[in-house]
Parts: sequence; C-alpha cells; structure tokens
Amino acid sequence: MGDSQYSFSLTTFSPSGKLVQIEHALTAVGSGQTSLGIKAANAVVIATEKKLPSILVDETSVQKIQLLTPNIGVVYSGMGPDSRVLVRKSRKQAEQYHRLYKEPIPVTQLVRETAAVMQEFTQSGGVRPFGVSLLIAGFDDNGPQLYQVDPSGSYFSWKASAMGKNVSNAKTFLEKRYTEDLELDDAVHTAILTLKEGFEGQISGKNIEIGVIGTDRKFRSQTGLRLVSNGASKQKVTDKWEQKICMVWKLDMLLKCHVK
Amino acid sequence: MSIFEYNGSALVAMVGKNCFAIAADRRLGVQLQTIATDFQRIYKMHDRLFIGLSGLATDAQTLYQRLVFRHKLYQLREERDMKPETFANLVSAILYEKRFGPYFCQPVIAGLSDEDKPFICTMDSIGAKELAKDFVVAGTASESLYGACEAMYKPDLEPEELFETISQALLASVDRDCLSGWGGHVYLVTPTEIKERILKGRMD
Amino acid sequence: MTKQQANWSPYDFNGGTCVAVAGADYCVIAADTRMSTGYNILTRDYSKICKLADKSLLASSGFQADVRALQKNLEARHQIYQHQHNKQMSCPAMAQLLSNTLYYKRFFPYYAFNVLGGLDNEGKGCVFTYDAVGSYEKVGYSSQGSGSKLIMPFLDNQLKSPSPLLLPAQDAVTPLSELEAIDLVKTAFASATERDIYTGDKLEIVVLNREGIRREYMELRKD
Repeated sequence: MGDSQYSFSLTTFSPSGKLVQIEHALTAVGSGQTSLGIKAANAVVIATEKKLPSILVDETSVQKIQLLTPNIGVVYSGMGPDSRVLVRKSRKQAEQYHRLYKEPIPVTQLVRETAAVMQEFTQSGGVRPFGVSLLIAGFDDNGPQLYQVDPSGSYFSWKASAMGKNVSNAKTFLEKRYTEDLELDDAVHTAILTLKEGFEGQISGKNIEIGVIGTDRKFRSQTGLRLVSNGASKQKVTDKWEQKICMVWKLDMLLKCHVK
Repeated sequence: MSIFEYNGSALVAMVGKNCFAIAADRRLGVQLQTIATDFQRIYKMHDRLFIGLSGLATDAQTLYQRLVFRHKLYQLREERDMKPETFANLVSAILYEKRFGPYFCQPVIAGLSDEDKPFICTMDSIGAKELAKDFVVAGTASESLYGACEAMYKPDLEPEELFETISQALLASVDRDCLSGWGGHVYLVTPTEIKERILKGRMD
Repeated sequence: MTKQQANWSPYDFNGGTCVAVAGADYCVIAADTRMSTGYNILTRDYSKICKLADKSLLASSGFQADVRALQKNLEARHQIYQHQHNKQMSCPAMAQLLSNTLYYKRFFPYYAFNVLGGLDNEGKGCVFTYDAVGSYEKVGYSSQGSGSKLIMPFLDNQLKSPSPLLLPAQDAVTPLSELEAIDLVKTAFASATERDIYTGDKLEIVVLNREGIRREYMELRKD
C-alpha cells in the first residue's frame, strides 16, 4: 500500500465539505433493522429486530447481540458482516487492555477504541467506512452506560436511543416513555413496546433479540437466557440477577400479553 | 559481582493500619566508591502511589521515565489516577516486554486504594509479582532487611509507630551492608497526608 | 576419549546459624539443630554447640565434617593443656588457640564459621567471632552461619555495641539480663527461621554463668 496513485482514501471531501461516503454509510444504517437501547437506574437493556430473509433460516444461528467483554455487550444496525469486523477488533482491544492492567476495560475506553477504528476507516486508503452503527451497553465502576457509535467514528452517551429503520418514531416513543428512575423490568417492557411500534408483522421471541446488564456486571443476551426461560435448566436459580431475569424472561409469555 | 549490586541500594515498604510506609537508603555508589549521598530512588506516581526502584541506577531512572509516561497517558485517557494493583500490573507488563534483556531493577510498589486499603508489592527484574500482606524488601541489603523486618514488624501499626519501625529496620540493615546506607529517606502515607522524612545514619 | 574434568570438591555446606551474647555475668550461646545439604535436610536434631572447656563453648556452622575435625583437634589440644597446666583453659586462651588452629590450615581451611562464647577469668561473659581462617574479634554479641545476615542487623538494633575504635576500649558486654538475652536470641532465631531455609527445626540454647552450664530448647519451624 502507498505506492499506487490510487492509494488515497476513497472518503474524500466533496466541495461542499461533506464526506459523502459517510453519509452513504449512515443511509445503510438507516435502512437496517431497528435496534435500541435503554439505560435504566440499575441496568442497561439493548434490543433489536431479528427479521430473517426466509422462514427456512434457522433463527437460532443468528445472533445480533454479542459480548465484547463479560460486562459489555453490543448490538448493531446496518451490515452484519461489517459489525463482525468491529466486534473482533473491539474484543481484541479489550483483551489487550486486560492483559496490560489485569482489570476489565472501562466502557468509555472500549467505546473510544472502537470509535477510533471506525474513524480510521474514514481516512485510510483502500478502505470504506463501516456500514453499521453500534449500541454498546456496559456496566463498570461508573455505573450503567449506553453508547452509540456511528460510521464516522463519532460517539454519544445516551439515556435511551434507537437506530435503523423507524429511528425517529422509536426515539419519539422512547422520549415519551423514558423516566430517570426506570427499573430493569420496566426498561425491558419499554424496549419490547418500542420495537413493537415499528414492527412489520407479528413480534415474537424468535424475531427479536434482547440483552441485559445489571449491577452484577454480567451481560446476558437472549440466547443465554432462553435456557433459563424454557426451564431447560431444572436447577434452582439462586443468583439474584438470574432470578430477576427469569421473571422478566418469560419472554414468550410477556410477548403474548403485549401482542394480545 | 552482579550488575544488580553495581550501585547498591536498600528498599523496604511496610503496611500499617490504613497507611503504608516506603523507605530507601540515600547512597549511590559505583561498586565500593560512593558517588552521591542524597540519591532518590523512591518516586511518587500520584498522591497515594509510590514506586521504589532498586538495582542498577541507570535502568531505574530509564524505567521510571517510561512509567511516568505511561501513567500520564493513562491519566489523560481515563481521567483518573491508577489504582495501585493496576499500576503493579503495568510495571510487570513493561518489565516482561524486556524478558530477554531486562532492566536490572527490582521495583517495590506501595499505594493506598480508593478505599484507603494499603497495597504493597515487589517483583523481580522481569515482572514476576510478589504481593505481600506485611512488608516487602529489595536491594543489596535485602537479606538484612528480611531479618530486621521479620523481627520488628507487627500488623496494624498506627502511622507514627510504622514510621519508627520502618526507620529502625532500614538503619539497622544498611549498617550491615557495605553498598547501601548514608542515611535514609522515608515516606509515610495516610489517607489524609504524605509525610516525607530524611533519616540521618552512619556515614561510613 | 573425551576430556575428563575434575569436578570433585572436598567441601560441602551444611547450613545452620549460631548466635552468642555476652552479659556481665553470663554468656548465652545458641544454634539451631538443622543440618542440611542443598535442598535436603540430613537431620533435624544435630547439635552445633560443643563444650571445649568448663567455661568455653563453641558454636559452629559451615561444613560439619570440618567442624567435627576442628572440635576433635581442639579437644585434643585442651587435653594436653590440662595435662601440662593441671587446669581448664580460659576462654580467651581458647579463643587464641582456635584462631591459631584455623590459620594453621590457611591454604586448605576448615570450612567452619565459629562463635566462641564463655566466661573470662573474672567471670564476665565474652564472645569471640571468627572467619574461616582464624581472623577473630572479641565482641559483645555475634552471629555466624546461613542466617547471620538476617540476625545481625536485628542484634545491632537491640544491643548497640560501642565502636571498637573508641579509646580507651569500651566494655563489649550487653546490658541485658540473662533472661532478656535468652528471649532476644529466641526472637532472632524465630525471625531468621521464617526466611532462611537452612535454619530451623529446633533451637539449642546453652547458658553459661556462675552456677555452671544450663541447656534450653525451643521448637522452630520445620519447613
């Protein structure tokens, strides 16, 4: 790299001062499936649609909410493959931090490192910006945190946010429902209701995904929780957070009452 | 003669009740010849975190500069001071980077956590940590210090008692080591203040 | 044929620590009873303290085979002394004899680090400390052997000896009472045992005073 005369960045300024590639990337995000996040008083919830192209797809093989560290989870809107690159790089960054300091990476640090990667891809030669926005949910010494990172590399801390299709509707909905003293259970309800607002078709446990992190600093995504809610594990649940989540995660039941 | 003994040094840190003390001798020598009698080998990273570097002085100073750099970078990036445990891990990682061409230093780290819990630790020149609950020693006088500390140390000492104990242990030890001595330098750190004291000792 | 190298050494090191403290009218001589070689413990019950004369006790660490040879030599010399003078050798005389005996083997030394404790002709405690080739000094207290580096600074701290350079020469005996001295020795050994692998198992303390000789034992760590 570097020798070719085409090795300059494709993301060059237009005369009006815009970086159109980034705008296109944001468009890609905007047409992606809806994701949202809510920061409650003692927890963070992130959720997303999981619409599959065909009923023939095995929905258990698709996982849109992923763990970056045990106490940080992420969800994306936009291009799935691009998100995996970011997840891989973020996990590596988190691991490197842990290797150096033997303490879990603070959420702000990981968000900044991830944002730095996304920024780099708006300025380097031979690459294009990522076609995703991320919602990063974590819990550390600074309490529950929710961040959004955009393809430009800019990032924001939110009390509640949404991205993808129907952003503005979802955000308006969240603005109406949000209160400062939200509890985990309410936050999960609100998350599901918000998703349901813009949902085309019947919402069910199979076409949405939810992740939660609370004061125990263990991020749990739905896949992990399904085991609990299905009663696949007959073991008595003693952990306080597990119990809470078990209550919330009678997900299918919950959805039934929402759907009616 | 080992390169660790080229300049001579004595370092000790002790834990007290919600406080700690770290002390060192003040001699800088080149083998048996004394070059300076006001040498500093304990450094302050921030108000409640100290590191002492025994061993080869040139490596100690270089290592210290790198640690200051890394610590400042951390402070800017994370907008907070490093916890003692975190700093110890950083030092360990930096030392291990030079696994096959080490800094000839044995660090002693002492700090107070945010909850005022004292932390002390030492490691070898390639970063193998030793976390002790009572006291840690390093330098050419380490054997003497082990003996003195083992006999004099008591747990949960109040700050002024701790100061007396660490000072007595240091002075007793350096007087039996040809390569360290010429007075002592003691830091006594409590949740509210840092006391720095210079000890007079035998000048021979 | 490959070249053969001489790799035999006439010496071993069996570890152990000796301490002696002199008081106004007593002398405390102590040593641990562990004998080791390398990382092995040969025995946990080996006395390093030898009674050379009524008022002379020798505690030695180093290579115990050499120590034994040295003790037998001194015993023999003392036997002859008794035949010739019809009395026990005094402690200062024994100290000089020990120095000469060690120096006699200047170029193939006894691998022995000695502390000689006893009472002088006035009944005052005295301690003599040696290197392997006979250099010696009369002191108020001393420590020799594997744990000496750990014990010595502690004794310095507790017993502050007067400088040997002072004129007129100061009395070297310690100000402690006999019981205090015994306690001090016990503390010193307990501490040294924590950090020195060659010191441990049991502490043998021999107290020499007007009444005669008294022996005490204290258990030490066995690891």
